[in-house]
Amino acid sequence: MDESSQNHPKPKRGPSFAGRVAAGVLAFFGMLAVFYNLLQDNRPQGQIRVVEGYIPWSAEVLEAAEPLAVQDGGRVKPLSSFAGFQMLAIHGARSMRILDAEDGETHRLTPTAWMLDALFRPHFAVYQPTFRIDNSDILRAIDLPVRSRRDRYSYEDLRPGIRRLMETAQRYEAIESDDRDAIQQQTLDIAYTIRSYEILLRYFDFARHGVRLHGTGRDGHDDQTAGISTVMATAPQIREQIAESQREGGQIHPNLQVLLEQVLDASNLAKYGIFLIPPHHEKELKWQSAGDAIMGVMTAADPHPVETITNIKELENTLDASLTGDMDEFATALVSLRDHFGERADGRGDTRFISLETTYYRYNLFYNALILFIIGSISAMAMWVLHQHRAGRWLSWVTLGTTGVATILCVVAIVQRSVIMQRPPVGNLYDTIIFIGTAGVIFGLIFEWFTRKRFALGLSAMLGVILIMLARRYELGDATDHMDPLVAVLDSNFWLATHVLTITLGYSAGLLAAVLSCGYVLLRGLRLVDNDRDLRRSLSRAVYGAICLCLFLSLVGTVLGGIWANYSWGRFWGWDPKENGALLIVLWTLAILHARLGGFLHEWGLHLASIFTACTIAFAWWHVNFLGVGLHSYGFTAGTTAIWTFYGVMVAFIAFGGIAAALGTKPRLPEKERSTDTPSTATPESPAQPTEA
Amino acid sequence: MDQEMKKKANPESPLRQAYDFLSGFKLATALLLLLGLLTWFATLEQIDQGLHPTLRKYFSWRSLWLLPEVNGKIVPLPLPGGYWVCALLLVNMILGGIVRIRKGWRQIGNLIAHFGIIFMLVAGGVSHHFPQRGNMAIEEGTVSNTAEDYFEYVVEVAEIIDGEPQNIRVIGGDEIDGLGSTHRNFILPDFPFDLQLAGYLRNALPVSANERAPDRSQVIADGYWLMERPGEVNAELNTAAIYGRVLREDGTVDPPFIVAGASFHPFTVHVDDRVFTVDMRKRLWPMPFKVRLNEFTADFHPGTGRAARFVSEITRIRDDNEVMVTIQMNEPMRYDGLTFFQASYGPPGAGPGDSLYSVFEVVNNPADKWPEYSLYVVTIGMLITFLTKLGESLGRVKRRSKRHG
Repeated sequence: MDESSQNHPKPKRGPSFAGRVAAGVLAFFGMLAVFYNLLQDNRPQGQIRVVEGYIPWSAEVLEAAEPLAVQDGGRVKPLSSFAGFQMLAIHGARSMRILDAEDGETHRLTPTAWMLDALFRPHFAVYQPTFRIDNSDILRAIDLPVRSRRDRYSYEDLRPGIRRLMETAQRYEAIESDDRDAIQQQTLDIAYTIRSYEILLRYFDFARHGVRLHGTGRDGHDDQTAGISTVMATAPQIREQIAESQREGGQIHPNLQVLLEQVLDASNLAKYGIFLIPPHHEKELKWQSAGDAIMGVMTAADPHPVETITNIKELENTLDASLTGDMDEFATALVSLRDHFGERADGRGDTRFISLETTYYRYNLFYNALILFIIGSISAMAMWVLHQHRAGRWLSWVTLGTTGVATILCVVAIVQRSVIMQRPPVGNLYDTIIFIGTAGVIFGLIFEWFTRKRFALGLSAMLGVILIMLARRYELGDATDHMDPLVAVLDSNFWLATHVLTITLGYSAGLLAAVLSCGYVLLRGLRLVDNDRDLRRSLSRAVYGAICLCLFLSLVGTVLGGIWANYSWGRFWGWDPKENGALLIVLWTLAILHARLGGFLHEWGLHLASIFTACTIAFAWWHVNFLGVGLHSYGFTAGTTAIWTFYGVMVAFIAFGGIAAALGTKPRLPEKERSTDTPSTATPESPAQPTEA
Repeated sequence: MDQEMKKKANPESPLRQAYDFLSGFKLATALLLLLGLLTWFATLEQIDQGLHPTLRKYFSWRSLWLLPEVNGKIVPLPLPGGYWVCALLLVNMILGGIVRIRKGWRQIGNLIAHFGIIFMLVAGGVSHHFPQRGNMAIEEGTVSNTAEDYFEYVVEVAEIIDGEPQNIRVIGGDEIDGLGSTHRNFILPDFPFDLQLAGYLRNALPVSANERAPDRSQVIADGYWLMERPGEVNAELNTAAIYGRVLREDGTVDPPFIVAGASFHPFTVHVDDRVFTVDMRKRLWPMPFKVRLNEFTADFHPGTGRAARFVSEITRIRDDNEVMVTIQMNEPMRYDGLTFFQASYGPPGAGPGDSLYSVFEVVNNPADKWPEYSLYVVTIGMLITFLTKLGESLGRVKRRSKRHG
């Protein structure tokens, strides 16, 4: 350093203007992507459809129907949950808007309202825009008019082509699933979806139409109709008459034959769809559908025919109440139905968490948390811009408040899920996203407490936005109830609470390290904090700490997984892709720490390596599932584009950081400070040469 | 400065340099990266090649170096074999992480963690070299005392007396594995003939020469020849085969014959009135006790095909001592160095009331619990390190708070 510069040190350089503009543009596009995503989730699906004379269900009806217990996916859940996932699978969203042309009112249907329409008012349901069909070629193939891209189709829209669609699907069904092309698979999916919806539409046909008693019409009057429960009550006599006919070697009386055919049809139509009748026997786990109950009594397989007939009568009463058009009466009938089945179900302990689950979906805490995280992210950006100002300090409190409350909401929702599932919070991919998101934010807040630079705070809010959005997208694409019970090998609360939680916490720490490093790269690459050495060192310490935490949790989690595998499959290590993914994280983080201790990685290197940690985590967490081999393969392929995009973004950050480092964005520090920047001892912030004994 | 001059004056001995290299961070980092690269390539390669062949290629001690293959294409990046990378890493960790590391309270956590990982690597090595594994399938109400190896095919020679195989001689898989283009004579002292074996194929099918002519001039034996097939992705589905000849005591050599894992019947040899069989099958592994399957239960979550519970109620029989044991997922039976795991059941598609069989994976691994013990050591070590660093950071925060406040 020459003398003049010593005597007249250059004034501290402020943040680069161009860098701030670039950061502003990046932030703008980032937020635009978030809002676009939110809008996509919430705006009406295509054009609002008219359903003539539609009468919305009253709040009392919906409130009475939501907690009605049904068995689905191996567990008992409220009707609202069942309806939510059915609607997600068929409609591709959890809500639907329709227009009543008469009064010009727009109605927003919740999943329960949509389900009640399908079950009790099919005359409205068939006009609702229920079906999502993404590939218009399928519609063209069956000569149906194609609507715009986001539009949904009603059952009535599809009705002219359904027969042809089913014939085509039948042909495709014969092809091995691996050999089907995309259109063939989508055709099959739509056919199954329509079939599922038809089951709902016709589920209550047994109560709606009853049984026509042929031969009872006299003097020009129509034949009489009897409720199916009435026919069920005469089952012993019917069986006796059939047995007598068989003994005499004669044929069954034609009127009886017609009656039996009607009963069979009614029972078949109500055989699937909804299983809402709890079994009588304590050891029997499977709940019955209305069709099962009818057939059980008619064939004498049911040891409790009187109770079963009462059950069917109760269902008939509920339908009758819905037909009166009086909402109060229907709500009362639903409550009566709920109490009727609930008494037995409660006694079995099947419905312990029904009200909790109803509340969970009604309040949608993750969505509320997302909104708060978004507010926190916007506030954080403003906070960074106004860092030195008083407003900046206020904004930091806003960011902390919104992020903190959002985190609490996430924790409450995760705890609710755990209680409902009666297992630790992580058991499938959806669980991992919300858990990693929440844990990542909590880690971020802890690091903020250590560093007090308002940097980890803002990035935590952003991490929350990204991961909750990912969770919503995944749930939308998968349309599966992720609270359903696990397969036998995974059903171990001890190992789920130890191995799975530890490894997912490791992912959280690693992802947080990568996010912090991305922030570092932007800050330095865009020269936003050119002279703030303190901030840089705090960030590096935080990243180093997060990588250490990631290593600790990943290593312990991986070994715990090995021990679990040794208990389940008889081997500690099987080179399964998921195991390898976890090992890759361990090896990569170990390599970073050893390189840092060996003095091969300095500040830039640490951050660029930390960003690459996100790629190893993405590989272990998501990518291995696409490979289609191993014991952890979930057999899904949705999201392959997203994962490559993620790798691309991370590599772009690394490349940008690499170029910035190479172009010498090293801050101009006084000589004294510069010399202390060179690591000399083996501490996280300053690596050392190998130590000797 | 003085030290530097001293260093120049007394250059380090080659031994010291080797020691520095072997115990250094540079080598540690390079080995960790190499191991990561090998693991990543092995993960991708097993999609096409299957797990077993991939492991043989990447982590066998025979594999000194390799070229990865992704999506059926060779990647022109020569890599050292994983076995040797692990071995070198072990050396590096012992020298660098135990011997050379600075000793003191601040390093105690790292020292313990390194020790734990070394123990884990040793456990991995023992598990790699010494375990025996097989499977035992038992029907309800029946007893078994043998497990079958997953991969190893052996040639079994026996004399049939009263319809039962007696005096069984087993020629092990390691004795025939290398007999691709060469042959080897096996002396059978208790039999009136010896055996010559040649042309071993890991996965092959006997094909009738009338249906299809040999494509590479393969030997035709009794109207059949062996068609080699590519290794199955699931290596346990491979069916090995080999050509054999009977070498009689009078010096005559019989025409060639085929024994194959895919054949239903053994090859029969007649000597005077005595009958002998030569067969190829997976190695049988006798257990030191018997197992009777009393009842097998498969429960599914109601209304779904999702498995909820597989439970085998068994009786373990040793001499006159009978013990009832329950084996289910995540709850194996450990006894006399052997571990029985609930692996699967059958027959596929069995309905209520059908007789079921249960399949156990049987493992004899001397290092069975070692990884668990090493985990405790590593966790303690890393926790100490982590908490020490956390304490330092907290102290820094406290000092800063004091400064500002």
